[in-house]
Amino acid sequence: MKIITLLKRVPDTEARILINQEGTGIREDGLKYVINPYDEYAIEEGLKVREKVGGDSKVTVVTMGPEEATELIRTALAMGADDAVHIVDPLLENAGPFTSAAVLAKVIEEEGFDIIFCGKQAIDDDMAQVQTILAEMLDIPQVNVATEFELSDDGKKAVLSRRIEGGDEKYETALPAIISCEKGLNEPRYASLPGIMKAKKKEIRKKTLADLGFETKPQGGRAEIVRWLPLPKSGECKIVEAEELQDAVKELVRLLREESKVL
Amino acid sequence: MTDILVFGELRGGKAKKITKELITAADRIAGELGGEINGLFVGEGAASAAEEFKGYGFKRIFYAEDDALKNYSTEGYAKVVSDVIKSTGARYVLAGATAMGRDLFPRVAARVDGVMFSDCVDLRVEDGRAIAKRPVYSGKVFIEITSKDERPTIVAIRPNNIPPAEPKGDGAEIVKQDSDVTIDTIRAIAKEIVPLAGGRPDLTEADIIVSGGRAMKDASNFKILEELADLLGGAVGASRAAVDSGYAPHALQVGQTGKIVNPKLYIACGISGAIQHLAGMRTSKVIVAINKDPNAPIFEKAHYGIVGDLFEVVPLLTEELKKIL
Amino acid sequence: MSIEGTAILVIFVAVLTAFTLIVRHLYRVMMKGKPEDRFSRWPDRVKSVLVFVFGQARVLAQPAGIGHFIIFWGFIFITLGTLENILSMIIPAFSYSRFIGADAAGIIVLLQDVFGILVIGDIIVSLVRRFFFKPLRLESDDPKTTEEAVFILALIFVLILLMYGMRGTGILLEPNRYSRLYAPFSFYASNIISHWNINMHLANRIFTWCHHLIIFFFLLYIPFSKHIHILGAIPNVFFRNLGPMGTLSRMDFEDEDAEKFGVSKLTDFTWKQILDLYACTECGRCQAACPAYLTEKPLSPYRMIHHLRGELMSERKMILADGETPDIVPDTVTEDEIWSCTTCGACMQECPPFIEHVQKIVDMRRYLVLTESRFPQEMQPVFRNMEVNYNPWAFGYASRADWLDGLDVPLASDKKRFDVLYWVGCVGSFDSRGQKIARAMIELLKKSGVDFAVLGVEERCCGETARRMGNEYLAQMLIEGNIDTLKKYQFNRILTTCPHGLNTFKVEYPQFGYEKPVVHHTQFLLELVREGRLKVKGELGHDWTYHDSCYLGRYNSIMDEPREVLALVHGRDGKEFERNRKRSFCCGAGGGRMWMEENTGTKISEARLREFVEIGSDHLYTACPFCMTMFEDAAKVMDREDIEVEDIAEALVKVT
Repeated sequence: MKIITLLKRVPDTEARILINQEGTGIREDGLKYVINPYDEYAIEEGLKVREKVGGDSKVTVVTMGPEEATELIRTALAMGADDAVHIVDPLLENAGPFTSAAVLAKVIEEEGFDIIFCGKQAIDDDMAQVQTILAEMLDIPQVNVATEFELSDDGKKAVLSRRIEGGDEKYETALPAIISCEKGLNEPRYASLPGIMKAKKKEIRKKTLADLGFETKPQGGRAEIVRWLPLPKSGECKIVEAEELQDAVKELVRLLREESKVL
Repeated sequence: MTDILVFGELRGGKAKKITKELITAADRIAGELGGEINGLFVGEGAASAAEEFKGYGFKRIFYAEDDALKNYSTEGYAKVVSDVIKSTGARYVLAGATAMGRDLFPRVAARVDGVMFSDCVDLRVEDGRAIAKRPVYSGKVFIEITSKDERPTIVAIRPNNIPPAEPKGDGAEIVKQDSDVTIDTIRAIAKEIVPLAGGRPDLTEADIIVSGGRAMKDASNFKILEELADLLGGAVGASRAAVDSGYAPHALQVGQTGKIVNPKLYIACGISGAIQHLAGMRTSKVIVAINKDPNAPIFEKAHYGIVGDLFEVVPLLTEELKKIL
Repeated sequence: MSIEGTAILVIFVAVLTAFTLIVRHLYRVMMKGKPEDRFSRWPDRVKSVLVFVFGQARVLAQPAGIGHFIIFWGFIFITLGTLENILSMIIPAFSYSRFIGADAAGIIVLLQDVFGILVIGDIIVSLVRRFFFKPLRLESDDPKTTEEAVFILALIFVLILLMYGMRGTGILLEPNRYSRLYAPFSFYASNIISHWNINMHLANRIFTWCHHLIIFFFLLYIPFSKHIHILGAIPNVFFRNLGPMGTLSRMDFEDEDAEKFGVSKLTDFTWKQILDLYACTECGRCQAACPAYLTEKPLSPYRMIHHLRGELMSERKMILADGETPDIVPDTVTEDEIWSCTTCGACMQECPPFIEHVQKIVDMRRYLVLTESRFPQEMQPVFRNMEVNYNPWAFGYASRADWLDGLDVPLASDKKRFDVLYWVGCVGSFDSRGQKIARAMIELLKKSGVDFAVLGVEERCCGETARRMGNEYLAQMLIEGNIDTLKKYQFNRILTTCPHGLNTFKVEYPQFGYEKPVVHHTQFLLELVREGRLKVKGELGHDWTYHDSCYLGRYNSIMDEPREVLALVHGRDGKEFERNRKRSFCCGAGGGRMWMEENTGTKISEARLREFVEIGSDHLYTACPFCMTMFEDAAKVMDREDIEVEDIAEALVKVT
């Protein structure tokens, strides 16, 4: 079985995100980058499927991102992925969902695939669109925000659970398909040291847009960011105090009704 | 032409609350840019929902309801929605940034060769362009974004950010949308929805959330929060620390790695306010912090605070609210 | 040569040969372990043997040790007597008095005579203690342990009776053999025997032969019983760790083809670690001091060593044949045992033959973490956070210096040269409670005009926790990263408020080529007060109790300075814990336990805090941010938030 997992390099969840002086994006100096957390669930699920199916199953990591993403790809290889394709091209900087999907579709078609796992969204632009557009481009179904995944014995379909408001939607899909993964699907493994050592020798195939047959950035120019806005500073907290706790609670209720009118 | 299509999401045969919020947003765009507003309901209950929304200022309301669309499938719904966008020539499509909206509309965007803005918190007109505001980097900054050309633009708006529309205007024309979707062409489909236990509103949709942290000390203590939440018709949430301690299921986790919530009122009980938690609730309109520790970081983000033991304050608060509600 | 003489000679030579072969066998098994350098400082090693073997210094640290002291010396003198007797059977004219004179030989006889009685008394006391008082340290999951102990005690008991029988009948047959002065108890025995209606000559030979045969049996039985420690303990004391306590070995990651890291099989241990297994006396003192064992965790250091030795003895032939032996992790030592350890070192502090338990546990953790990636789930985020953000929590590394806002604290990157580098540490930087301590320290440093700086966002986790959690790879990344930063600046000393950081900088950074004097804030503050740079104005005058952090007291012998500072602050001496100083009881946070769930048994921190409550003191002081966190959490769970736990810096800042 040919398993593709998508990996994106994103600023760490705890990174301090500040808008740059020109107001055209974020300040990248001093940022720590990590594998998009949801992509880790995807890698883990890919490895689990490979372990279940066995045979000559293979997990290939596909990444679009700058040169520096290599070290994160190595982490995925250390977790157990077999090889990787890394698309590096300056034209792909700040690529939108359509561009990303078009490039990934090309690579994935070249690689061949039976199932594709990715994160439910990347925690940088938080768009959560690439996987679904990619599915449309590859003309395969997708299941988003999967919290359970079970491959049928014949490997031709899968039953899943996906998180929706107030419940879990039980889903069934034919394969090949794209599955976007949510926290709770699995517990991503911690790379072992022999795994880290082996990963140093695994193949990462670097590709540019030209290598993929694109003359220019595909499918771009759809959206324009008008401006970047910092988070509004919230005002001082009003600490409600009184001799008796009960009076403080009374005052709080009054404030909520009369001042902020939320009750 | 700046015609607008509002996608009214159905759940259990009923239109979701977000539908009315989308109508408000559509009115704003149409008010500035002109153009007609059409509605669309797909799935079980579509016909009756179309009827229900007749008096909300729509020009036409399309509905598609048959066996193949009874259960949600991206492919089936995408087909119907794309057909309507194409046939009406809609310039803007407004949808809820819900589980369905987030799953369905990227595919629709691809089919109509459009563009989509996910998880928007606001939509307004500036210099003749509709500008959507949305958080990026887990809400650490916001961007305002617009489409570069005239292609169909889908704006998925998070619930509870825009006030719901009131009924107005003449009755809309109700149009049955024929669907050529057949069940055997759908490769991936929802089989059933297993509701979460409790019957409270979903965290992401609730107007009021009462959340507990590690200071809850035990899963059974969450019942005092449940009592308060039920009184207010709200949902119960939990911090990661509480979830990690096994006091609450992960489904209730509010935070960057859990649910991102946006209620009118967020009551944080015994939550110290770790950044990971703040990332998930700091856009709440009003935050109330109840914590023993006056130095807890949550007070830096809260609008109102009571320094005290949550096990004393919460029951008092419930009592007090019972008197007035 | 008489027939009897020939017979004893043949048997004696055969037994000695067999014994030598067994010892050689055990030696060869031991040498299948990995290499380890324990060959420096010979004079100190000889001294160790004199003090701890012949002086039985650690054995005597507990009253019950007197029993062992008696048996140890009794065994030596009785063996001397036995040897003389055997030799005289072979060469009739042989006697010690011919070589060392009658008086010296007589004293040996007297010591045998006296120790014989003492040993008998001791055995009775030991059995009574074992069966009626059931001391905690003798608790065992292996019934054979008790059977074996009783069997050996009984054998020694019979041996001593036979000795008196042999001597008593000897006196009756040959009245001038001993002076009454040198053998009072033997004469008493002869008195009793003289009333028996038996053939004295025959009885004498039977007693003698039985006695010697038991000794021979003993010689061959020792290596396969817990008395193997007679063979193992002396070399183990000789080769003991003379360096700082609990120093972990540095792992080498150069070999990129390595498939395995850490210890999962017996032969992954070093020879010295295998010698440890031979050396265990099964006294159980480690167990009686172990915070994990005492709070119903699955770990007992004694049991771990006992099981490892059992496995070693059953696999020794396979080991010698270089065959495949079963994994000791998790078959012999379970994962729950391995993760229960706080690395507090109480076991090693107590162990009479200086067995090093902690390194073994960490070596097995290394295997689980590095090779198998198998560890308690809650550790994974800790590792991740340390890797990405250089702290155990999910705080962004860029926010490490946020606490400094508005404090006007000099940064190393601005100052470049300064006297003291204040290493704030992860707790001081991120934890709101730790920040209070750090602020108190800053205030004290400023008051006393110390030329200091902090690293701010350049500081990373010191690596101590990762190392003790078995993640040597991560630890080395952190250590090397910090060394690169430290080398950029010129300063004289590192000041830490955390004993874990202190221990790591002092003992472990030198393994990576970085040596710099390190001082703990309690030492430094006392120094400032003594030098008059910090003036103590007034006293708080409360009762106080100081909790020794394991890594400060036991590991680094810093025990007086914190107490002296507190005595100055309060104008009185403190009320001590019953377990204090080197024998202090862990707070439960060490060895990475701070970041793991403690779901089994009593919480260690609560057990310790209960001890504090019993003291009836006003204030509990710590000098370790880990202890602080543990006790504050314990106070919450125990609903005793009235218990105020403070750091020594916070106390001192109030009176200066």
